[in-house]
Amino acid sequence: MADHNPDGDPTPRTLLRRVLDTADPRTPRRPRSARTGAQRALLETASSRRLSGQTKTIAKGRSRGARSIGRSAHVQARGHLEEQTPRTLLKNILLTAPESSILMPESVVKPVPAPQVVQPSRRESSRSSLELQLPELEPSTTLAPGLLAPGRRKQRLRLSMFQQGVDQGLPLSQEPQGNADASSLTSSLNLTFATPLQPQSVQRPGLARRPPARRAVDVGAFLQDLRDTSLAPPNIVLEDTQPFSQPTVGSPNVYHSLPCTPHTGAEDAEQAAGRRTQSSGPGLQNNRPGKPAQFLAGEAEEVDAFALGFLSTSSGVSGEDEVEPLHNGVEEAEKKMKEEGVSVSEMEATGAQGPSRAEEPEGHTQVTEAEGSQGTAEAEGPGASSGDEDASSRAASPESASGTPESLQARRHHQFPEPAPPPGAAVLSSEPAEPLLVRCPPRPRTTGPRPRQDPHKAGLSHYVKLFSFFAKMPMERKALEMVEKCLDKYFQHLCDDLEVFAAHAGRKTVKPEDLELLMRRQGLVTDQVSLHVLVERHLPLEYRQLLIPCAYSGNSVFPAQ
Amino acid sequence: MALSTIVSQKKQIKRKAPRGFLKRVFKRQKPQLRLEKSGDLLVHLNCLLFVHRLAEESRTNACESKCRVINKEHVLAAAKVILKKSRG
Repeated sequence: MADHNPDGDPTPRTLLRRVLDTADPRTPRRPRSARTGAQRALLETASSRRLSGQTKTIAKGRSRGARSIGRSAHVQARGHLEEQTPRTLLKNILLTAPESSILMPESVVKPVPAPQVVQPSRRESSRSSLELQLPELEPSTTLAPGLLAPGRRKQRLRLSMFQQGVDQGLPLSQEPQGNADASSLTSSLNLTFATPLQPQSVQRPGLARRPPARRAVDVGAFLQDLRDTSLAPPNIVLEDTQPFSQPTVGSPNVYHSLPCTPHTGAEDAEQAAGRRTQSSGPGLQNNRPGKPAQFLAGEAEEVDAFALGFLSTSSGVSGEDEVEPLHNGVEEAEKKMKEEGVSVSEMEATGAQGPSRAEEPEGHTQVTEAEGSQGTAEAEGPGASSGDEDASSRAASPESASGTPESLQARRHHQFPEPAPPPGAAVLSSEPAEPLLVRCPPRPRTTGPRPRQDPHKAGLSHYVKLFSFFAKMPMERKALEMVEKCLDKYFQHLCDDLEVFAAHAGRKTVKPEDLELLMRRQGLVTDQVSLHVLVERHLPLEYRQLLIPCAYSGNSVFPAQ
Repeated sequence: MALSTIVSQKKQIKRKAPRGFLKRVFKRQKPQLRLEKSGDLLVHLNCLLFVHRLAEESRTNACESKCRVINKEHVLAAAKVILKKSRG
């Protein structure tokens, strides 16, 4: 076997070949001549170094030395082909396998024993993990690692290139094919590694994600809706004749219709709105896009007053795109709101004049669950940023006007609807009279009791968080909602029980004894575990001091027993 | 007041009892009754223990069904048991 690559490129194949040529197939234990023994020692060290170190220079040097010495042993090595040593097997592979081809050879007969695999694996361990797969695959392939050996060098290069390509996002479809290795396994490994990433990036290099086509669609759909639903008259409460000539066309109508409608429809709308906002009280960000949609959709049918505010604000929002919406129907604006509900949340951050607007919205969005007004407030931000200051300020005032009755309503829920509409209507009617630029309106607004749900949920959320903390496991959202319901039920049970206990003791005040009795009945307090123990375990120090009587200096006990 | 404790889970758990919330809930439920001063702390303790038991039970259910995430069903089943236990 002539050395094809004498010094330039000692492939594993050539190195192995040299080893086979020079090294004695027999184990060192066999008696040999001194010279061959010396050769052997030299070669073995060389070969071992070659195999493990993979340094070209050393290999070159050793191989050169080994080659010259080893030629004499070549014949000897030849003679022991029939022995099944790693050397012989490797040699057979080298003999039979074509050097450059990486195709599966039919001529390779002998299965690859483990030691052979060990050697290649040693080399491969220095490479990527992908290549580490190769030795493991050998049982399934007739392709010996010896074959892999010659191809490995090229394979190694290709794989490195491949990896570079992966990093750079180059089309690497050629590489896996080039690597072939018929060990379709390796190529499949490469492919599997590559394919998930490549196809998309190949077509659009540099774009790892989908293009944000959503925006365009929204606008398109939005425009569609504008044109399609040229519905109800622009019931926009635009207080005065601000720059938008188009809106003013509709505004007088709206103007007049506004005071008429509120009384009749306001109440229903407000109630409905209140209810809806109530239900959407928890106001999770996710829910918001949906809620304003329902909210607004419901409103459209009922009252213009609210929609007016929304319209104007949302028209302020859409003002960046078009001015038309201002005098378009309520429904359009609502649909806009729907679509922009998501984008609004993004836009809200951008509102440069948001702070100035925020004053108004904050004024009437005391109730956080008034998502509609929230949406409008946010809409105001972008609307202002788009430069439609006046529109948005105009929008703000009617919107706040509409917001107040709505928020009032929302607060009262369905308990006290009556007081709300009159003040709401009064506010609305007073709206037209107010001057334009009402940036900081100290509006006469009665702050009713906060709605039952929101702080209730807020308080419950404290316990829900504790639940997820105690659980120490990830939880679904629905599970958390379930926990809220359970807590509600639990509180009801608790109050009932305490009432019973207090009544049993002939009292009207619930005392800690009642609580202790309750816990005893629940099985939390036993003869072994007393209440104080539980208090100490679970409550922080400050509460402990309040609950457990402790003696202090001056012969005083706190809390007094 | 002990406002928060940093736990190894990197979650800040407020150990503060929502006293106002508890009082409001009680008042809403039973306007005719009065709650004593430290009564709501004990109520809070009761809630803590209830939630603790509920969480343990849900966790057990989830582990039994070999889920990595606590599901609604786990919580539901746990709630049934624990609510029954918590009946005064």
